Amino acid sequence: MKPQEIAHPVAELNAVSKSFKTAGGHELKVLENIDLVVNQGELLAVLGQSGSGKSTILRCLTGLIEPSSGRAMADGKALDGVNPNASVVFQTFALYPWLTVEQNVAVGLMAHKVSRADRDAAVDKAIELIGLGNYHAAYPRELSGGMRQRVGIARALVSQPKLLCLDEAFSALDVLTAENLRQELISLWRSKENGLSSIFMVTHNITEAVEMANRIVVVFPRPGRLGLVLDNPLPYPRDTNSPEFQRLVSIIHESITTMTLPDLPAEVPVAGQPISRGRSRMESIPFVPVGQILGLMSILNDSPDLSNIYDISDEIGKEFGDTISIVKAAEILELVDTPKQDVRLTELGKKFVASDRVGRRTIFSEQVFKLRLFHIIIALLHENEEVEADRVIKDIASALPYDNPERVFQTMIAWGRYAGLMDINNKTRMVFVPEEDEEAA
Amino acid sequence: MKSTSPQLSVPTEQRVFGWIDAAVMLALFSLLWSTLHFGKGMLVHFDDTVVLQIDSSPSQIPYYAGRTLLRMWIAFSFSLFFAILTGYLAAKSKTARTFILPALDVLQSVPVLGFLSATVTGFMALFPGSLMGVECAAIFAIFTGQVWNMAFGFYHSMVTIPTDMQEAASTYGLSPWQRFKTVELPASAHSLIWNSMMSFGGGWFFVAQSEAISVMNKDIKLPGLGSYMAAAIEKGDNTAALWAVVAMVVLIMASDQLVWRPLLAWADKFKIELTESATPATSWVYNLLRGAYVFTWFDEKVVQPLTDALSKVSLPVPAKATVLRKSHQRLIWRVLGLVVGLWVAFEVLSGLLAALQVLHGTLSLDLVLHVIWLGFLTLLRVAAMTVLATLIWTPIGVWIGFQPSVARFAQPLAQIGASFPVNMTFPIVVGFFVMAHISMNWGSILLIAMGTQWYILFNVIAGAMAIPNDLKEASRVYGLRDWNLWKTMILPAIFPFWVTGACTAAGGAWNASIVAELATWGDTTLKADGLGAYIADVTKTGDTPMIILSIAVMSLFVVLMNKFLWRKLYAFAELRFRLD
Repeated sequence: MKPQEIAHPVAELNAVSKSFKTAGGHELKVLENIDLVVNQGELLAVLGQSGSGKSTILRCLTGLIEPSSGRAMADGKALDGVNPNASVVFQTFALYPWLTVEQNVAVGLMAHKVSRADRDAAVDKAIELIGLGNYHAAYPRELSGGMRQRVGIARALVSQPKLLCLDEAFSALDVLTAENLRQELISLWRSKENGLSSIFMVTHNITEAVEMANRIVVVFPRPGRLGLVLDNPLPYPRDTNSPEFQRLVSIIHESITTMTLPDLPAEVPVAGQPISRGRSRMESIPFVPVGQILGLMSILNDSPDLSNIYDISDEIGKEFGDTISIVKAAEILELVDTPKQDVRLTELGKKFVASDRVGRRTIFSEQVFKLRLFHIIIALLHENEEVEADRVIKDIASALPYDNPERVFQTMIAWGRYAGLMDINNKTRMVFVPEEDEEAA
Repeated sequence: MKSTSPQLSVPTEQRVFGWIDAAVMLALFSLLWSTLHFGKGMLVHFDDTVVLQIDSSPSQIPYYAGRTLLRMWIAFSFSLFFAILTGYLAAKSKTARTFILPALDVLQSVPVLGFLSATVTGFMALFPGSLMGVECAAIFAIFTGQVWNMAFGFYHSMVTIPTDMQEAASTYGLSPWQRFKTVELPASAHSLIWNSMMSFGGGWFFVAQSEAISVMNKDIKLPGLGSYMAAAIEKGDNTAALWAVVAMVVLIMASDQLVWRPLLAWADKFKIELTESATPATSWVYNLLRGAYVFTWFDEKVVQPLTDALSKVSLPVPAKATVLRKSHQRLIWRVLGLVVGLWVAFEVLSGLLAALQVLHGTLSLDLVLHVIWLGFLTLLRVAAMTVLATLIWTPIGVWIGFQPSVARFAQPLAQIGASFPVNMTFPIVVGFFVMAHISMNWGSILLIAMGTQWYILFNVIAGAMAIPNDLKEASRVYGLRDWNLWKTMILPAIFPFWVTGACTAAGGAWNASIVAELATWGDTTLKADGLGAYIADVTKTGDTPMIILSIAVMSLFVVLMNKFLWRKLYAFAELRFRLD
């Protein structure tokens, strides 16, 4: 190997795990055993659904938070505190509204020992570079979202950091603005003239990752761990419609789909027991409102040709990650089946769609009743008229250690309400079985 | 100045000195002169056997007003410094927080006026033979009246700074001082100024009270508007009394117009939202000052060279080497915190021990029960005031809040009403009670309400103004009227605001009871049965064990009320009636 080809790590995570305490006081493991290296000169994208822990990875890498175990390194040395050679562009811009564009950018140099004249020159240069030429004295609230993020990028670049980190930097912008800004950033990075050499980005947007990065790492949630690692050798500028581009996108799609919606082997029937994946193992439920499951069902029913999960994602105008969650919810309830990349209504699903309101609710209720997770509550409610919510949450926490038990609980209550199985009194924080109303009876 | 594109509403600053600069300079110099002039009066010789004579001719009013105002600003400066310091510490250190927050909570429940006797003697011993001792006691009374609320406010805005702003500051390696002045102070500026304005308004009550006090059987008077008023009433000089009231109103309005409104208008840019506010605060003074070049000049010619020079001297190391060593920093903070914590704990413990020693042997169960019974009577009065003021001012406040044109001037008026130290006028009202043969047991409710009802009024106005238009339109579409309208829309919408107002009013009422349950008109002294009158009594005679007992009981009442009533109501309002 020739010496210049030896990869030089700018920042790395060694066996990093991270746990947080939830608002309810439960320990929640967000990252598990992450090994990650950002090399000199590369544009690395970490791709994951919301809640997969990708932002936590970024914060560990830059030293904004400390790992619970393992360690973060910068330039081969262990990191103590914030990495002074990295800067971050935030999803929410994180501009200071009381400072002008110029002053905001100058914050990037505040910790550096430079003369006023040098500082002004560097600020000017960064502002020009990022196309904010006429906005020196403007305040952030006078700017559009795209312009605000330009200020965020200029502020991050002004100190010529060794590593630029993008935390969902484009997801608060509209499609056109985001695309424009992505292109500009790529050409800045490719020109290598402005000291910008290594970029680390986290995103939930698959196309964005494939468009920008030359290496892509997919994170899987609960707890966050690295899955697929993919080199992206496509030449810049990348044509998002080219077959090579589409091929990479679908590889990632597939990897996420098989991870989230695995094709389970058929179960061996046991006498007297219905076959149900819900019964066979404790499984979490996606945090999806009932209305979205119902919506998916009627779209599938209305368009029989629609079966590919990517097409469904386009059709309902949701992010791929969100679509997967909805499909998974429907799958857990055995209303759809997901062979490979397809989503099809099951017989039960067809019956569900054809039923009236009461019929749907009965089917939903039966299916929810089959889920092992719900037995935590149902068993308790069988013995007592009312059960404390905190007790249920505690049981959920021990059954599903990688999930946020409060959110699981809220989703369960939402499903249980629709099913007529359970409800909560928010004043007393007690879960109870609602009385059957006439409509349901 | 760099080019700014024309479509942006960036104010182009003037680069020449104009008449407004002259006015600003003149104002600054006259401010300096008056500070020195009035400050000189604070250092004169003082003999506590001679009662200071107050010249009740109206021509002396400007001087007395100046003295009162100076006292207010000195106290406020201390409050501001202390509030920022404690709020900052509480927000930054978990250990400090566990001490500071409960301490603030208790301290803000303690009736300040009951302490006057202790602080006056203490400060007089500190400055023997100088008026400074009494001045300090008065300033301290104002300070304790306003500081806790400001400290809480600053702490709260420190911890609600958006995470991303703090994270950005971390990634750019800002030092604690840089972070404070670039992020934390600006982010808290708006709420700090708003809280300052409210606390400053509350301060007038204490300044008026502490200027003319009798402790340890001695009458002590400080030159000021409060003592001028007291002297005028003693002499039965109604014209002079009227002049004092007018002067007080002028002082309050001037502070509002010349200081607080401009500051609020300026602080609009420190609001955290990135959207333009629909009704930004306006101030004619601020608009005038924006035209002044002198501030820009001062910044460019004095501040910037100075900071440049300072930074060259202090840290000639390249920034890349100054990596934050978190673990070291933490250790220093730990040790510092431990020292301060131990010191505070020592002070508190020794104070408690001293108090117990004083109390030991003098207290009987009967006495304690009697004081608690008096506290109960005052509690009834506070409750009566809150209920009555609510019944009267809620409909009026809602009506005002629904008419934006009325609300625009009624709300600042209510604020001024809340600021005005009505305790100055108590003797006159008491005179009326004497003539009308009204028992002080009932009359004192009115006296308490005179100062505190305004908090309920302007919070209700604010609540009514905050009802979103779509809710109002919806209620009109569905034909809600009368009780249905109040029940479904108005009452729930104003409830959180009412809780804030009523809680402030009730808190103030306890303090007010000390001056409202015992009042003098000429030779007649009217007294109600209550803890306030009791505290006023024992303060006057300097009965230390009884002072400690009665203040402790009143503080206990306030703490219990806060814990079992107001906190619950706040939580309930937050849960059920929040409008977002």
